[in-house]
Amino acid sequence: MSQPRDYRLHEGTVIDHLPVGSAARALELLGLPREGSITVGINVPSPSQGQKDIVRVEGLFLEKHESDRLALLGEHITVSIVRDGAVAEKTVLDVPDRLLGILACRNPTCITNEEQVQTVFLKQGGFPYHFRCAYCERVSATEA
Amino acid sequence: MADHVHAGKAFFGRSVVSAEDFTKDEILALLDAARSYDRFEDGTPSFQPVPATLQGRVLGLLFFEPSTRTRLSFESAMLRLGGSVLGFADARISSFSKGETLVDTIRVVEGYCDAIVLRHPKEGAARLAAEVARVPVLNGGDGSNQHPTQTFLDLYTIREAAGQLDGLKVGFMGDLRYGRTVHSLASALLHFDVDLKFIGPENLRLPSDLRGQLKQAGRLGAEVTQLADAGDLDVLYVTRIQKERFPDPMDYERVRNAYRVDREALAPLGENLKILHPLPRVNEVATEVDDLPGAIYFQQSRNGVTVRMALLDLILGGRAGAGAS
Repeated sequence: MSQPRDYRLHEGTVIDHLPVGSAARALELLGLPREGSITVGINVPSPSQGQKDIVRVEGLFLEKHESDRLALLGEHITVSIVRDGAVAEKTVLDVPDRLLGILACRNPTCITNEEQVQTVFLKQGGFPYHFRCAYCERVSATEA
Repeated sequence: MADHVHAGKAFFGRSVVSAEDFTKDEILALLDAARSYDRFEDGTPSFQPVPATLQGRVLGLLFFEPSTRTRLSFESAMLRLGGSVLGFADARISSFSKGETLVDTIRVVEGYCDAIVLRHPKEGAARLAAEVARVPVLNGGDGSNQHPTQTFLDLYTIREAAGQLDGLKVGFMGDLRYGRTVHSLASALLHFDVDLKFIGPENLRLPSDLRGQLKQAGRLGAEVTQLADAGDLDVLYVTRIQKERFPDPMDYERVRNAYRVDREALAPLGENLKILHPLPRVNEVATEVDDLPGAIYFQQSRNGVTVRMALLDLILGGRAGAGAS
């Protein structure tokens, strides 16, 4: 009889408190799967949210632009960095007031969709997030 | 007034991308400066003879889209101040037609002139150009987004005609949804104590973000579909309703005639009403209105020269620069 596998994370990142249904989008945003084992929990019971999604990735440590994009998926998402099997650092993701080069403008006649320029979006209020393009000035509800 | 004079110096070397980038004092400084170029003799408007403060300076006019008023009034303004102009009025005769990017075009042209006026079909083009250019960029209209110098000349026209900006009841009629002049002027009027009213068809009502901005400022007045329901007005700002906004041509025909002002429609609003229109008009203002004393849309167009003279002089440091030194 084989032994149960150990799915605990040794070196990597836990993305927790994702809104239900957003785990697949989180994987897509991170360009996963790539190297390292990935554990995905969907509709996981949560005392604070009722249900949540959770993603654990061995060997992944997020760049800022990646965590900024993940933050767009919902409120209260946490990212825990695990080293030697223990949580070394835990942060609640926050969407920055200025998003640089992360989103594409939905306005087809915005100059950012024609010229090679880094997009700049300014956050308008809280969740669900709306963003104002710093170039064409259109405000839109933007999905990550 | 002292604050205005000080605010005028804030224009030096600065790009003009959106009217929202300017404070009330800065706008008033510009309007005061523009007045110094106006002269009225026996009720006929003319231009004050002014020294050639911008002699030796060159203004680049890059018009990737057609324009009559904006391009010619900028050109007139620069020539009246003793400066020169270069550029193109048709993107087909520029390297744009060969696929050159806007950024590259700006970096080339900035080497030929002291400031650039840009009209471009893409929204945000002026903001991008201002970021990359080493010389000031003046937005001559970027798609349906901003046209700040139109807003400045609209404010100037209203103030000169009505005597002040505070205390006015201003009605906007026509395309409230897509009309950039409406959006920009309504936002700029939030600096002043005005009552804003909006008259237009249901499908061309104000965009939600502007409505929210006006509502938050406590300035969202009546939103009606008929001019007769708008109540008292001191100023009526009429805009053209564009056919392409209507999927059904029949809907356009109905609306087109419903938002046409003639002497009969304007009579209840009194003789003191000032009628503005950014032009060009199609049929939304009957030609019989042209002779009314309050029909000031051609004066409004002419004011584009004085306001742009003031703007160029402040930005390039003509008289303002001499006074500051």
